[in-house]
Amino acid sequence: MEIKILNLTKAYGDFKAVDDMNLSVEDGELIGLLGPSGCGKSTTLFMLAGLTEPTSGQIFFGDKDVTKVPPEDREIGLVFQNYALYPHMTVLDNITFPLINRKVKKAEAIERAQEMAHLVQLDGLLNRKPSALSGGQQQRVAIARALVKKPQVLLLDEPLSNLDAKLRVETREEIKRIQQEVKITTLFVTHDQEEAMSISNRIAVMNRGVVQQYDAPQAMYLNPINAFVAQFLGMPQINMFQAQVTGRGIELDGVLLRTREQLESAGKKIADGTYQMGVRPESLELCEDGFIVKADNVRMTGRDLLIFFKIGTTEFRALTHSDLQLREGDNLCLRARKNSLIIFDADGSALVKC
Amino acid sequence: MNRKSYKGYVYLAPVLAIMLVFTAYPLVRAIFMSFCEDYSIINGSYKGINLENYADLFKDKDFRKAITNTITYVIFVVPLSVVISLLIANLLNSHIRFQGLFQTLYFLPYVTSVIAIGVVWRWILHSQYGLLNSILNFFGFESIGWLTDRNYSMASLIIFAVWKSLAFDIMIFLAALQGISPDLYSAARVDATPRWRVFFRITVPAMRPIIAYAFVMGIINSFKVYNEVFSLFNGSAGPSGYNSAITIVFYIYDKFYNNYKYGIAAAGSVVLFLLIMFFTAIQRLPGRIRARKEAAQK
Ligand SMILES: Nc1ncnc2c1ncn2[C@@H]1O[C@H](COP(=O)(O)OP(=O)(O)OP(=O)(O)O)[C@@H](O)[C@H]1O
Ligand SMILES: [Mg+2]
Repeated sequence: MEIKILNLTKAYGDFKAVDDMNLSVEDGELIGLLGPSGCGKSTTLFMLAGLTEPTSGQIFFGDKDVTKVPPEDREIGLVFQNYALYPHMTVLDNITFPLINRKVKKAEAIERAQEMAHLVQLDGLLNRKPSALSGGQQQRVAIARALVKKPQVLLLDEPLSNLDAKLRVETREEIKRIQQEVKITTLFVTHDQEEAMSISNRIAVMNRGVVQQYDAPQAMYLNPINAFVAQFLGMPQINMFQAQVTGRGIELDGVLLRTREQLESAGKKIADGTYQMGVRPESLELCEDGFIVKADNVRMTGRDLLIFFKIGTTEFRALTHSDLQLREGDNLCLRARKNSLIIFDADGSALVKC
Repeated sequence: MNRKSYKGYVYLAPVLAIMLVFTAYPLVRAIFMSFCEDYSIINGSYKGINLENYADLFKDKDFRKAITNTITYVIFVVPLSVVISLLIANLLNSHIRFQGLFQTLYFLPYVTSVIAIGVVWRWILHSQYGLLNSILNFFGFESIGWLTDRNYSMASLIIFAVWKSLAFDIMIFLAALQGISPDLYSAARVDATPRWRVFFRITVPAMRPIIAYAFVMGIINSFKVYNEVFSLFNGSAGPSGYNSAITIVFYIYDKFYNNYKYGIAAAGSVVLFLLIMFFTAIQRLPGRIRARKEAAQK
């Protein structure tokens, strides 16, 4: 089912929880709604579910305007942040509940619930109460309950936030697997950028009710549209700093990050002056002919070595392969990889990459 | 006994002493009194120790009437109050206008004196000028002597008592309702659940403990009913000349203060005590059985 969101706004008094949102989702896509706490992700999801009434704007499922359609008629499956399983019913009753309400015969309902339970790997747990299940199992019950009525759209509100780190990774793969098996259009809310990037076809990054950028994970990571998106994606965070564009190129406290030719080859004319810029830690690489810095701090994270250093007073982080032998106080020679330096203008939107 | 637990008992001692003096001792004393023939409260003398009081008690048709009245009262008032309160609490909890105002209104009877409420109800139930009879007349029914006809005494008492106990039940049910996660109701909406099923499959199960509590408290309080009778019938146990609405506590009080039959009053209290114990135990049985079943499942 395709979804189109047109100029969707939800206001509480003067405060706009969701502000003029436009988004279109293709059939079978898995979309991540990503943003910091309070940015309007759940509000968006609940408007799609029909539980929250939009202040203005429209929602289309396929060709049908569902803006005024009540939740039970929208053919959606919804998984809540805290699962909202019916605590006094067994797993089986939880899963058959939406079917029984839709007057499906009991025998058929049980059969479909069992199929669903098998899909989400819950066989053998059907007679338990939710309180006797682990967080991951509860989450799968919630997904089974959402999917059993064969909805056209699946909406998940931070379904992984209650799980521990290892289970999170496992379960998100699980969600991806189930989503691909059922081929259902899915919107998935999270504030974890890695989670969003690893399973979404496309991500919508939100901030203060406004969609900042809507793109495939890699495209968004490499070409963030503004400083907010650049900073929100990536761990460790992108290095942000103020540097000068001069006749020589891009300079920061006497270090020449880019020559004039390199800057101009990016294609866009940048006037001289001070700009905010960003470069990702993994884009700072060791080389023979770059700038020399002193490692203030070296941290081993397993796969990588995280190096802290300063240029002038600006702090930077660089990621290198973990086999590099380096100690605190050692000097090293670095450069910013080609096409990795992003220049932002005064209001934070990206101007050019060089 | 090791040193530690010894210290614990020292801390408990003051409360324990108070309980012994004001709760345990009178209880033992009352049980003892119930076996004393012609007990005198002034000098503590008695003719002998036997079952005379109990024999007198059960021979007295007023007492038998008090028992059947009290049990009738409990059987009607407690379930009616719980069911009606549950429905009203649910309505109050849905998003209606003036929710706060209604909540206050329903709570008023709880903070008002029974005597004052009794005055109002004596007017509502008045055989000539009463509101209830006016309504009956309006729909073409004949007036009923709610407070003057002894056949209607219990009905009047029950109506009055149900209304009065609504306040407390509604209050605790509202508190419990507010503790149920709103997400459950959202989930139920998405699942296309009919309203009645939401009520029976989500709301009621979540409130089961508080409903059980309301039942236990209701049963205990209803067995001790006295004020309601006193205020509705202006100090007597029914229309003048009749004891048609007499209850056990009313009987005990009457024997003790008006007839100075201390032994019989004590015997009445013991019977009441046993009745309350019996009914509370029965009432808790279903919960126990379910708990055992659930434990067995795990
Ligand atoms: N009923 C309401 N009245 C007023 N403000 C509200 C209401 N519901 C939500 N908000 C506000 O709207 C904003 C968006 O809320 P929302 O729940 O969508 O955030 P979220 O992105 O899901 O955050 P989180 O990651 O913490 O769940 C928040 O600032 C919140 O305070
Ligand atoms: Mg949320």
